Amino acid sequence: MRNIAIVGVGITKHVSKRRDVNIPEFVYEAVKAAIEDADIGIRDIDALVTGNMPGFEGVNCPELWGGGYWGGYKKPMLRITTGGSTGSSVAQGAFYLVASGVFDTVLTMGFEKQSDGATTVGLESAGMSDFVAMRAYGMPELDPAGAIGMFVFQAISYMARTGCTIDYFDRAAAMLRSNAAKNPYAHIQQQVTAEDIADTPMIAYPLRFGHTCPTSDGACAMIVTTKEKAQKMAKKPAWVNGWSSCAEEASIAGLHGAGSINIDPFDQRGCKFAATKAYAMAGIKEPQKEIHLAEPYVPFAHQLFLYPERLLLFNEGESFRQFDQGVMHRDGRLPICPSGGVVSSNAIGAAAMIRIAECALQIMGKAGERQVTRDVHTAVAHGLGGQANFNVVTVLGDKPAGR
Amino acid sequence: MSRRVAIVAYAQTKHEPDKDSTREFMIQEVATGALRMAGISKADVDTVVNASGDFLDGRTISNMKTVASSGAYLKDESKVEMDGAFAAFYAYTRILTGNHSVALVVGESMASCYPGYIPSILSLDTSFDRPNSFLHEISAAALQATYYMHKYGITESQLAKVAVKNLRNARMNPFALRSIQGISMSTILKSRMLYSPIRELCAYPFTDGACALVLAEESKVWQLTDKPVWIEGVGFCHDSYYLGERKLSECESVALAAKTAYKMAGVKDPKRDIDVFELHENFSYQELMFYEALGLCPKGKGGETLDARVTEVNGQLPVNPSGGALAANPVHATGLIRLCEVAMQIRGESGKHQLKKKVRTGLAHGQHGLCAQDNIVFILRGGAE
Repeated sequence: MRNIAIVGVGITKHVSKRRDVNIPEFVYEAVKAAIEDADIGIRDIDALVTGNMPGFEGVNCPELWGGGYWGGYKKPMLRITTGGSTGSSVAQGAFYLVASGVFDTVLTMGFEKQSDGATTVGLESAGMSDFVAMRAYGMPELDPAGAIGMFVFQAISYMARTGCTIDYFDRAAAMLRSNAAKNPYAHIQQQVTAEDIADTPMIAYPLRFGHTCPTSDGACAMIVTTKEKAQKMAKKPAWVNGWSSCAEEASIAGLHGAGSINIDPFDQRGCKFAATKAYAMAGIKEPQKEIHLAEPYVPFAHQLFLYPERLLLFNEGESFRQFDQGVMHRDGRLPICPSGGVVSSNAIGAAAMIRIAECALQIMGKAGERQVTRDVHTAVAHGLGGQANFNVVTVLGDKPAGR
Repeated sequence: MSRRVAIVAYAQTKHEPDKDSTREFMIQEVATGALRMAGISKADVDTVVNASGDFLDGRTISNMKTVASSGAYLKDESKVEMDGAFAAFYAYTRILTGNHSVALVVGESMASCYPGYIPSILSLDTSFDRPNSFLHEISAAALQATYYMHKYGITESQLAKVAVKNLRNARMNPFALRSIQGISMSTILKSRMLYSPIRELCAYPFTDGACALVLAEESKVWQLTDKPVWIEGVGFCHDSYYLGERKLSECESVALAAKTAYKMAGVKDPKRDIDVFELHENFSYQELMFYEALGLCPKGKGGETLDARVTEVNGQLPVNPSGGALAANPVHATGLIRLCEVAMQIRGESGKHQLKKKVRTGLAHGQHGLCAQDNIVFILRGGAE
């Protein structure tokens, strides 16, 4: 397999509503930024991989309409969608296309312009398809309360099994929002304290308003290319050394279907599977020591503790204790979500790709004010989708993997 | 690209207008069918690529609930929200990297559960085209057909003739949805006019159905089958959304996709080198345009090629011996079915619609979007080499 690298990144400023542009124009902003970042032209792009969650803005396959705006005219274009993990699944599509030798330089983008549609409509049509299970769990089928209705089970389960408490979630959210304050692309840029978060209303026990992600308009684009071209295009490319994804049966609502079992959303063994495979591919034997930065997919504060454990960066039930010692902070030993994470900006189809893009920026040393204090040689990015049943893991490094 | 990839097994459902089944059961039927044919279990599959659509399935994240039925539990799964042939391409690159050896590709659609042409209206520019609602899948096709007919003097009876050819072929295909006895020109010309010049029987039928393929890399192939069908070439291409920006009387993106695929497979003259063609023609006129784009005849001569009967089952260039998309069109599976049908022809397993001549090389095509906006072309070849 060929070595591949990310040489350009473009992210739009995330906001609640971008009324001045339509979907293709909006995504074009990220595409233009990525192409300029790599200092190439649209002629250098061999193929495009794109995706979003069409239910959120109400446009079916928007790349049919927007492809021409993004440089896709008369070029191969692939559309990949997998829920919240869409951005990372799309990026991995680009990795496969380049690593397989079919294309040399691929432009990949994930986006969501949620203000064009209704987020609840998008979410409910995912939840409503399984109303029998929802009723069994006591979730009102006409008001499933969006994604939080599912993730409170995960948060409670995490608390029950590890001894973590809500005040940790407050502190986690405060750290993430404060990190976002340094990120020019983040949606909610607030320098807040744990007390401020604790003052916000409880949405669904144990998650408060301050623990939850906003609904954003946002787009992200990246340029992925081969070793030979990457060395010409970028001074310091971010090498994509390992990647994998894993699908599980949908949790919570996984009551029916062919031989499905009911999975505790705390378990997330798919994340461990995907991480193990991605580390092996990148030649990382001891992730706890060898990984220098992580960008897990954290739309709800408790996941700042859960997913680093599932990414094998901390032992199970230990991450919130490590958090106490400042390990996860921007100046810590293993900074987690220095970008502010999905809690601070959540444009569905872009969010998981931004995790990879942020890792790439940290490795390239281009993260500006949010650049972490320690040297970053390796980083891991994570995407989460479906009913917490798709986990997508990508490992980046400052050197190509030796293969 | 040193590794080679082959189709080793396939399965499709009987395509019906209103299937007494669920998506999950359809997917399970074809997934287990294809695995059984390869003589393996789901434990032997490394990666699964689903092809389905959120708008057509009527649920956000359409692959979320099909993990179990497609055998993807604890596997590297992804979803391509395009025609299934694009999903097959993605599975092919996944194998080429060496990360995976055996891939399962599944495409499905249940037209009985979505409101006809509405999903195509929802893919339009939201600020102008959608509120004015002049365009959808079939009205756009009617514009293209009219322009094409006007430019090259193609007649309505030639459009009907394509339908006669394909639906006659469909009579021999046990999986086809449309199976009309004694089909003739008058049957087609008496069918309801949808949007002039497109009649009901010149347009695809709304279909419930699914298809699955198993792909494998060279070192695994011989354990799974003794009749592999190799993917020798593949190309795909996106064209402009705006019909006015396209050369509407030509399918440039088909021509560009075919050019890439021909080059990769070493096809110099498609008329000489390819034995069978399975095209994804949503409307009968498109088949004629594809003849031209694929290089089977010069520009504007699609109608003459049809009249010369070379594209009939016993002709020199048989096109759609299965009946094509006019016989059955489960969106997101149709391109996969084209790959499946070519593989069946190459392996000599097509039954009643098996061509009389020896089939070694075949072409399969898939499309996505209004007026065949995105197109993909595969060249498949059989044999031990």
